[in-house]
Amino acid sequence: MRHESLPRDDASRVWRDSDGLHIDVRGLEPPEPMVAILRLIDGTVIKDALVAHLDRDPIFLYPELDDRGWAYETLPSGCGEADCEHTFTLLLRRMTS
Amino acid sequence: MTLAATFLGGAKSRLLPLSIPFRFFAAAAGFHVLMWVALLVGASELTSFRGGLGPVLAAVHLLTLGVLTATAMGAAVQLLPVATKRSLPAIWPVKLLFWLLLAGLLPLIGGMIVSSTKLLIAGSLVAFAALALFAAVLTENLRRAGGLQIVAAYGWAALVSLVVVAAIGVTLAVNYERGFLPDHGAAALVHLILGGFGFMGLLAVGLSHVLIPMFTLSAAPDKRWALLGFALAVVAISLAAAGPLVGSRPTLTAGTLVGLAAVGVHLALMRRSLATGMRKRLGLSFLLVRIAWVMLPMTLVVGLAAAYGAAGPNGATLFGFLLFIGWLLTFLLGILQRIVPFLASMHAVRPQGGAPPALSELAAAWPLKLHAACHLGALAVVGTSIVMESLLLARVGAAAGLVGALAFAWFTADVLRRVLRTRRS
Repeated sequence: MRHESLPRDDASRVWRDSDGLHIDVRGLEPPEPMVAILRLIDGTVIKDALVAHLDRDPIFLYPELDDRGWAYETLPSGCGEADCEHTFTLLLRRMTS
Repeated sequence: MTLAATFLGGAKSRLLPLSIPFRFFAAAAGFHVLMWVALLVGASELTSFRGGLGPVLAAVHLLTLGVLTATAMGAAVQLLPVATKRSLPAIWPVKLLFWLLLAGLLPLIGGMIVSSTKLLIAGSLVAFAALALFAAVLTENLRRAGGLQIVAAYGWAALVSLVVVAAIGVTLAVNYERGFLPDHGAAALVHLILGGFGFMGLLAVGLSHVLIPMFTLSAAPDKRWALLGFALAVVAISLAAAGPLVGSRPTLTAGTLVGLAAVGVHLALMRRSLATGMRKRLGLSFLLVRIAWVMLPMTLVVGLAAAYGAAGPNGATLFGFLLFIGWLLTFLLGILQRIVPFLASMHAVRPQGGAPPALSELAAAWPLKLHAACHLGALAVVGTSIVMESLLLARVGAAAGLVGALAFAWFTADVLRRVLRTRRS
């Protein structure tokens, strides 16, 4: 169940759910998914975890997350796999402050 | 839950073994060195080069096929399957692609240096096979690149140019022996325009729509303006290629002017990406990229002036030098020094429970500083040597370029060495 939606400057959708903050960047053209996620984790809204919903593996995002001290893990998506045809879900966690 | 140690999931399964993309990058670094060696050897004909077999033509092809195309192949086979979410069905075609490129390039270059038309024709036929295979790989990936409209549009146009360029290349090689073309020079100019602006230029500009915002951390360029830039670029290249074919200087002029408009749109989009990006400190690589952006319109202006005999006696030579080394090579080296450590980092092994190596740990800074100083010095000195027709300056500039190329080769090898070290530790 979706709870509080948060306003965004770009076309991504952000909401806070019972399991934490989510961002949906599906449908955005590269590199906008990466930029939207980095804007969020560089901002003040997020504390230490984020679930990102993408439509492809964000390969260029990983070094940026490494540099910022964030860990990442793929989560099972709607199809039961980490990497479905149209969705890719990542759990991001802050490792350092 | 395992953090940090869990990496990439689906993407990793689509990553080719490290040796696959890096064999292309290593070959490109080696051919980059050989290109400057060929220019040093051919310095006496460099300043007034108008075509014809010899070390300068060999240098041009070491750059276009050996450096630019090999890099495009390595990056494409590594990144496109991830972008399109489909694994390559097999690795052997990529290995075959690499060996075909080498097997074609070496006799082609040898044939140009020793003026052997037999070697030239044999090399051009094998290189054509390599380019045809690359075109097939690109086609397969572009068909699936649904979410990357602008990049795909540029990719398709580059693909068409590639096929035509390769076909004209074989025709030119055979013509050296048979002499059936009514105007070898005009066909060579079309080959240059479609290769430099069509295949490689469109690929560079198209990929910039993703790469530059990715490096600057900005939004993707406005799609309407990007489409306008693409349409102008395609019209420009079509007109510019048609001009020499029909012997019409006004057509060539129209193509160049439309090309300047396309460049204006593209550079405005890139400038906006720099201005609005979250990352302001872009480092040495963007010094090269910015200089390449200056070289692109300058190439067109010099080309236009040369067409009217207003760029001095060596205007045509200066045009070719600015196109291949000023714009394309400078841009590629700027992008490559960011991409190589990144691709390598995806193959680095993380310490148990620890953070992965930072990108800065995978590349030393001094080779890139040395390379940038030498490359930019070579650009200025060789450019001046062409204007002043100075053999001494041509030799000094080519020697500086050679030192820079060696530094870049060291950088590439060093990145590879550091990644392999993470695997052993």
